[in-house]
Amino acid sequence: MRKLHTLALILGCSIFPGAVCAAPIKNSASKIEPELLKKSALMIDRHVAGLYRSKDLEVPEVVDDPIFLRRSFLVAAGRIPNLEETRAFLETDQSDKREALVDYLMDSDGYRSHMTNWLFDMFRVQDEFLRLPGYPYVEYIYKSAEGNKPWNQLTSELVSATGSAWENGAVGYYLRDLGMELDNLSNTMRIFTGTRMECAQCHDDPFGEYERRDFYELAAFTSDQGPINHEVWEKAFAPLAKNGTDNTDFGRFLRFLDEWVHVSALASGGAGRIALPNDYQYRDGDPGEMVGGKTPFGKRIRTSDRSDSGDSREAFANWMVGEENERFTATIVNRMWKRVMGQGLWEPVDEYVEAEKTVIPALTKDLTRLMIDLDYDLKAFQHILFATKTFQFAANSEAFASGLPQSLNGRQLERMSAEQVWDSLLTLSEGNPDKLEKRTFDDGVYLFQNKVLEEEYPTMEEFSKMILSIKDPEEYYKTASELFGLITGKNGTAEVPASGKLRGGDTSLVYGEGLLSPVLDGPARASELQAPTPENHFLRTFGQSDRVLLESASSEANLSQVLAVMNGEVENMIVSNDSAAIYQAIDGDIEARDKVRYIYYAILGRPPLDEEMKFLMRDVIDGSKQAYRNLVSSLLSTHEFLFIQ
Amino acid sequence: MSSKYLNKADEIDRRRFLLNAAKSYLGVATAPMIGASLASPAMAQAAAAATGGGKAEHVIFLNMDGGMSQIDTFDVKPGSEYQGPVEAINTTGDFQISQFLPNTAKMGDKLCLINSMTSTQGVHDQAQYQLHSSYAPLATITHPSIGSWALRMKGRMNQELPGYVAVGGRPKNGSSGFMGIEYGAVRLGNANEGLKNSEMANGITEEDFEKRLAVADALNQRFHQRYKVPQVKAYESLYDEAVKLMKSEDLKAFDLHHESSETRALYGKGSFAQGCLLSRRLVEAGVRYIEVTLGGWDSHYDNFGSVERRCQDLDQAYAALLKDLEAKGLLEKTLVVLSTEFGRTPWINAKRNDGRDHHPSCFSSVIAGGGVKGGYQYGTSTKDGRRPETNPVTHQDLNATIGYALGIDLNQVIHSPSGRPFRMAGPDKLLGKPMTSAFG
Repeated sequence: MRKLHTLALILGCSIFPGAVCAAPIKNSASKIEPELLKKSALMIDRHVAGLYRSKDLEVPEVVDDPIFLRRSFLVAAGRIPNLEETRAFLETDQSDKREALVDYLMDSDGYRSHMTNWLFDMFRVQDEFLRLPGYPYVEYIYKSAEGNKPWNQLTSELVSATGSAWENGAVGYYLRDLGMELDNLSNTMRIFTGTRMECAQCHDDPFGEYERRDFYELAAFTSDQGPINHEVWEKAFAPLAKNGTDNTDFGRFLRFLDEWVHVSALASGGAGRIALPNDYQYRDGDPGEMVGGKTPFGKRIRTSDRSDSGDSREAFANWMVGEENERFTATIVNRMWKRVMGQGLWEPVDEYVEAEKTVIPALTKDLTRLMIDLDYDLKAFQHILFATKTFQFAANSEAFASGLPQSLNGRQLERMSAEQVWDSLLTLSEGNPDKLEKRTFDDGVYLFQNKVLEEEYPTMEEFSKMILSIKDPEEYYKTASELFGLITGKNGTAEVPASGKLRGGDTSLVYGEGLLSPVLDGPARASELQAPTPENHFLRTFGQSDRVLLESASSEANLSQVLAVMNGEVENMIVSNDSAAIYQAIDGDIEARDKVRYIYYAILGRPPLDEEMKFLMRDVIDGSKQAYRNLVSSLLSTHEFLFIQ
Repeated sequence: MSSKYLNKADEIDRRRFLLNAAKSYLGVATAPMIGASLASPAMAQAAAAATGGGKAEHVIFLNMDGGMSQIDTFDVKPGSEYQGPVEAINTTGDFQISQFLPNTAKMGDKLCLINSMTSTQGVHDQAQYQLHSSYAPLATITHPSIGSWALRMKGRMNQELPGYVAVGGRPKNGSSGFMGIEYGAVRLGNANEGLKNSEMANGITEEDFEKRLAVADALNQRFHQRYKVPQVKAYESLYDEAVKLMKSEDLKAFDLHHESSETRALYGKGSFAQGCLLSRRLVEAGVRYIEVTLGGWDSHYDNFGSVERRCQDLDQAYAALLKDLEAKGLLEKTLVVLSTEFGRTPWINAKRNDGRDHHPSCFSSVIAGGGVKGGYQYGTSTKDGRRPETNPVTHQDLNATIGYALGIDLNQVIHSPSGRPFRMAGPDKLLGKPMTSAFG
């Protein structure tokens, strides 16, 4: 706490009159004991050093202050440091400043924002699914990141989810893949246990360990993902379909109730049994035959093939996070290692490797123990990783050549993720992006982009509860008519023509864009924007995931990115934007050389080299405003800006 | 930005001056952003010996992402229990297609239907990957996409424009893998916006623009020397590419505003439709390979409703593209491929509001133009639509056919930087064979 305080003081002090000060430190989650932090970081470093010794190699050098600063900011908080933060760090000789910086970052809102991006990608969060509202799911994941929800709790809540999405946003984990239960299950195994089973969805896997039957036995646990009271709705809707008035506004209102209330819910907690598919091709079962649940590893759990269990997803979730399932803890340990160190202890991270077969078995085991002891607190766990010397290693090609995996070898050079690029640009334009506007969540009832029934049903949760409580189709129809009357001010129902007040010509309006997504007007961090952003957004140009499939983000270079830097967003947001924070900071009676130095601090997080300064002062800087703009543009075009060292 | 805006002689002087200045302080020997843009890149186009086919110079690849239901589009099964509520309609070719595709039906005489596509990849990303590269995904290497193969083997036609453009779709589909960035797709998010940011921002003078690049070049040198990795190199060459492109008169090929409102309306409004129109413009301007993606075919739930909606996006645009290419005399030298990664089950899943699930063992693709016989069915499926009956075609075969149409030597091996051998038509075990009899 003391260290954090010291750096916060430095960062808080006003170096430049009028400049924006560093973020107030907001602490929303538990903090790790300093002793435990130190001890655990040391444990890791000892294991790593031991490996280097055993290979007769020198332990790598640690990176210098500027690289440490930039690397820590980008990896922990998803953005570059701003000018003040850079100055505060580089210009102090406080001996424990690296530890203090890590404390500062782990407590910053940037950590929360960057971790939100990670979770959004992992859980393929979208504001709108193909035809359903993704909004409650977004809110659920967003708040889980905000509260640093323990990984085992988050896993358990997602995997066992049941009920209405408006009461339990975690249900979105399944609704996200509506109709694709088997794909969803493959992803579940991949995300949480590092087990690839997707081949066994359709056939025995000749290269893997699983047969098709194993897959179906697992799928039995999550099966039965049907809506709540759908049959009541169907009966209420049937007359409209019959007399051809289903495409009226009232018809569309009923469809809205169907998809946003009934289908946006899971009635059962899991049947615990499933029918083998029509094309089942092996001797150990027949198409259509019911199979009960059976877990493939860890504790053996079974469910009956004779009757529905009703809560098999909960049993599955308990098995998943249970201590006997070694893959669960090992997989999240490795995912966190990759996040901080750049590469997993074993790769790919979604293919589990037994501890004994990993590069340092004792390290893997100790890390697994640590994760359990920390109660799956991902923030605390990452904090420890950031506090290691191993994190500070400079990329070391010699060690790599001797067969040491990259994960123990200093972070390799990599391009910033789309989110890191965006948030770094915001740092230059806004000064402190952690202070910018955040996502908000409006729980009201929205229909055709209008907020309705505000007095009667202030929240969608109350509204859906009421709708789902109706068991009689006639009563359902009557209630729906009354609600429709309340909303439109019209008494008629089926008679209202399709071109009425609520129309849009086609059903797409019902599921239209921006129906519920809160799109922020002003500048905001990537985690606060529409999820994902539209295909032509800067973030997508730089490879943001479309969140349709796992691991779809890309950091490949592309011509459009370069154009965006030279002529597009980078130019408009920063280079030619006189009110950008970077210009504000150098405005005033400051010597030209200092201006150049501050521009370097802000963009590259380091001072210019002597020869760079000489070159710039002679051939570039002529005292004009435009000269500084040109320098800013040039530095933003360098590869040093775009890459994390 | 017009070409007059950047006077070449001045530009060279200014950039040389800065380069010299940089040299004296930073020890810069070469500055790639400058160097390469001054030299006219060597003409990559080697006349590939035609190995048969070989009439096509361009490819437009329409990627139906998500698994297009063949029974509800190109492989109708009238009278079958599997057909569901969708009816079959006659076409101007020797086959029927779905009622969801009335405009396409009128183009039947140009289409070659392949209702015997087959694959073993039933997971979207693996299947899309194989469709786009002829290889199954591996953890150790990224295989180049077919567009990259086309570009590598046939070269660029217009040296100022990118040779490979992708409108929408997954970023990974346009990857050039180990071949390097010069063979990768330039990605456009939205056809209506054309190539975003391809003009100099307002208020920037040519002099400033050049200065910025030259200074960035100079400052990059230390970083380049330290990190000699492909990812960094990729960005280096892209700056050069971007400058060349900005100066090109042909940049207007990307601007749909040059099309009349009638032509734009002919294709339809949606993003896919405008992408199709853009692909025609790019073919005219000499772009080798264009991919346009239409997603949302994953109709596990409410198959008939969602396929109908997708077909509304597809039908008008696809028919307009073929018609327009023909009217402009481009169809003969442009192979138009419509494909998806896998099909959907013939049987209908009532539990999911009449959905259809993944079905890789049999699905449909369609090829047209580029010397392909029209009104023709190359392969058929069994009566129940479960598997191919005649002429099964794999992803690799389809890609071999693209190569064949372009006149590419399919036996040619390209080695990755690590020395591993690869071919356009896939690995030895699954090596694709072109559908030669589909060509007239």
